[in-house]
Amino acid sequence: MAKQLFEWDYSSYPGAKKYPKLFEPVQIGNLLIPNRIKYAATEDNFNDHTGFITDADVAYIRRRAEGVVGGLCFMQGVYMDEARKGQGYVGQAACWDDKYIPGLKKIADAIHAEKAVAGFQLMDCGRVGAVEVPSGHGPSTVPQRLRIFKPMYEMTKEEIKEMVQQHVDATKRGIEAGFDIIEISGIVGYHISNFISSYTNRRTDEYGGDIRGRMKAVVEIIQGVKEVCGPDIPVGIRLCAEELLDDVRGNTPEESMESYKIAEEAGADYISVTAGWQESIVPVISRDVPMGSWVHLAKRAKEHVNIPVQMAYRLFLPELPEKAITAGELDIWEICRSMIADPLMPKKVLEDRQEEIRHCVACNLCLARLFRDAPMTCYINPVCAHEHDENFFPKPVEEDDEKEIIIVGAGPAGLECAYVAAQRGHEVHVYDKREEVGGTILEASKAPYGDEELMTCINYQKTMCKKYGVEFHLGTEVTDELIQDEMPDSVVLATGPLYPEIRGTVGEGAKIVNVLDVLGGTAEVGDNVVVWGNRKPGIGCALLLANQGKKVTIVGKEKTAGFDVNPSFKWRYMIYLRQNRVMAYNDCDIEEVKEGEVIVKTYDGYRFPLKCNTVVISERGANEGLKAVVQGEGIELFVIGDALVPRNMSSAVHDGYRIGLRI
Amino acid sequence: MPVNAEKEITTLWRNLHTAQNEICKTYYRWREVALEIAGPEAKPLDVALKAAEMMGVDIGKHFLPRLNWLKGEEPFMLNLGRQLAGLWAGEGAVTTVEQGESPSEILIRCTRDPWPTAARQYGVPMEEVALTREKLFQTILVDVSVFFSVPLKIEMLKAIPRGEGEWVFRLYKDEN
Repeated sequence: MAKQLFEWDYSSYPGAKKYPKLFEPVQIGNLLIPNRIKYAATEDNFNDHTGFITDADVAYIRRRAEGVVGGLCFMQGVYMDEARKGQGYVGQAACWDDKYIPGLKKIADAIHAEKAVAGFQLMDCGRVGAVEVPSGHGPSTVPQRLRIFKPMYEMTKEEIKEMVQQHVDATKRGIEAGFDIIEISGIVGYHISNFISSYTNRRTDEYGGDIRGRMKAVVEIIQGVKEVCGPDIPVGIRLCAEELLDDVRGNTPEESMESYKIAEEAGADYISVTAGWQESIVPVISRDVPMGSWVHLAKRAKEHVNIPVQMAYRLFLPELPEKAITAGELDIWEICRSMIADPLMPKKVLEDRQEEIRHCVACNLCLARLFRDAPMTCYINPVCAHEHDENFFPKPVEEDDEKEIIIVGAGPAGLECAYVAAQRGHEVHVYDKREEVGGTILEASKAPYGDEELMTCINYQKTMCKKYGVEFHLGTEVTDELIQDEMPDSVVLATGPLYPEIRGTVGEGAKIVNVLDVLGGTAEVGDNVVVWGNRKPGIGCALLLANQGKKVTIVGKEKTAGFDVNPSFKWRYMIYLRQNRVMAYNDCDIEEVKEGEVIVKTYDGYRFPLKCNTVVISERGANEGLKAVVQGEGIELFVIGDALVPRNMSSAVHDGYRIGLRI
Repeated sequence: MPVNAEKEITTLWRNLHTAQNEICKTYYRWREVALEIAGPEAKPLDVALKAAEMMGVDIGKHFLPRLNWLKGEEPFMLNLGRQLAGLWAGEGAVTTVEQGESPSEILIRCTRDPWPTAARQYGVPMEEVALTREKLFQTILVDVSVFFSVPLKIEMLKAIPRGEGEWVFRLYKDEN
């Protein structure tokens, strides 16, 4: 009979009635998991640079363990070699020696404290490893496409045997630390996937050749790990269903499915399905990929193996996995970025508090930071990476310290600040001259390629404001007189940016419109458009207009277009700009606007004309309005979001949260 | 102030040519530095070929993200030829790329090249200029060949520094 580690009864929870499949038990090997939810192993760069677990990592994982409400919670993958060739991230946990066991035990204990099943992942990063050493190891010496990764050298047969043993030894340590389930990571360009792929495995010995040969090392690992685990500890493996490496002659989908079957034959107790490599030129998980796009891969996996199939990959809403599980296309809902954005996401689903979920906006900032040796953070979750610091959580104010606060602006900065301050006990009034909350996100979310998902942040904030009793005064412009009449204890200016006028000459007949009016669909725009400003708002607007068939050129001050977009997402925009034939003149400014033409000036003084019948202003500046009257009246003042320095939605949310905590 | 297109273009054009001349001169100045440090025992040609090899490997890595085998053999070879020719054109050469006799054969032609002129100013033998260019292209192809599993070769058919009036390189897939 299958063993269940902790008792869970979901019958009284409304979410379990709404999503009966998600909260149904599932058996993996001889272990019964109370529900079908898994926090997938995710690197976070929180650990010591020698591989020891830190309190930050323990606190981070405990919060996610609480979120899975009895399901599977995996710690990040550990590297297993003393030479550190398998280490892919500076803060990656290590497991090549017994000295790491006490730290790992803290993680397992933290997961168990939340009555969740503790998962331990083995992850030699292979081709994307060797972050702290000059070169990495792999089945063959294949050059790197991305220069941020280190050169690879072909392993000898002895080294392969040693690598297999490292997996076995690390498993023993994981079990000793108290983990309940073991997972082998063989995805996205990590070591195991390097062996499996025809792109990176060019060996002619028994570890190369056809898919069976390329799987030999993997089979040896699975069998070695299974032997150590015995019947009670399941062993799973993450494998690519599609490498999306056709341009470099990677595996075919048929070969990938063959690898699934071979893994099952070798003893794997489940398969976690993934798509794409770090090197793939196909977008997989960014916002421009519609949610649920990859479910067909899980379905295909189910058709090839008889063990449970799990998958993450743009399954951000519980409706999607519920439907897939019901249809027999999936067994377990893996969650990664959605629980970075909101660690309690599945718990909120169970409690039917879905509107209180802070949804991931699929920007990939979390991943971008990992590859730049920075601790993970989240674009829209200001607490991410600070779970161990109690100062990052709202604390109630003393009764005497309760304040009356006016927040000017109902955009992401103002709303975030509002609910956090109200949660702490302040009386919060939010004013906005518009009739609707959302600020500039109302328009920004009209840009193409998935930007409508940005509104999920506003919807969350609206719910939280309502929950904590924030009072809204919409359709009300805040004036000097209003401040003087109300005389609040504090004023937070979250008014959004100012849009500057073009510094050069503007001739008669020139048509100039604002980016918000264009995105909002209220401005008339000609066929030849110049968008002034090469940051995200300008790019979003340019793509919207280009999609409408207009000839669009971007002129902006930054050295590269999309300077403010993180690199893991920026490449998508660059491709869309090229596809839509949008030319960007960077490090440039508009010197003159005339009827039918603008004169562009480069940073070093060259000037050239551009055919244009509409100029869209998307450059932004700080907004100092109301500052003088607030300071003049001696009222405590905070300026946040784009009103302080025009940046992005993330900065607005983070500013708002921090000031909400401080005020 | 109205834009004087001729003036803007002329200034840009002069600056481009100055930069292109400096590329060649800077290389030969560094060659002198390397030879002085290497001492009298070092053979200048060996030093030049080693430099070409190191530069070629580095340039080859830059080529990888820009090439795509999915587009088919002919477009792949043509794109690769254009990348090599474009690199040379950036240094001030006048280059063309032509399809060879088979889909896997490309001819890169250069009818004007600033390198031999600059080399003469620094007293560099013309044969060294020819062999260095050949070595550079050969080493660029090393990583490209391995990465895409395509055995690529390039051979020099003609060279301006050999007095043959133009450079011609044959880029091809080695079927043997």
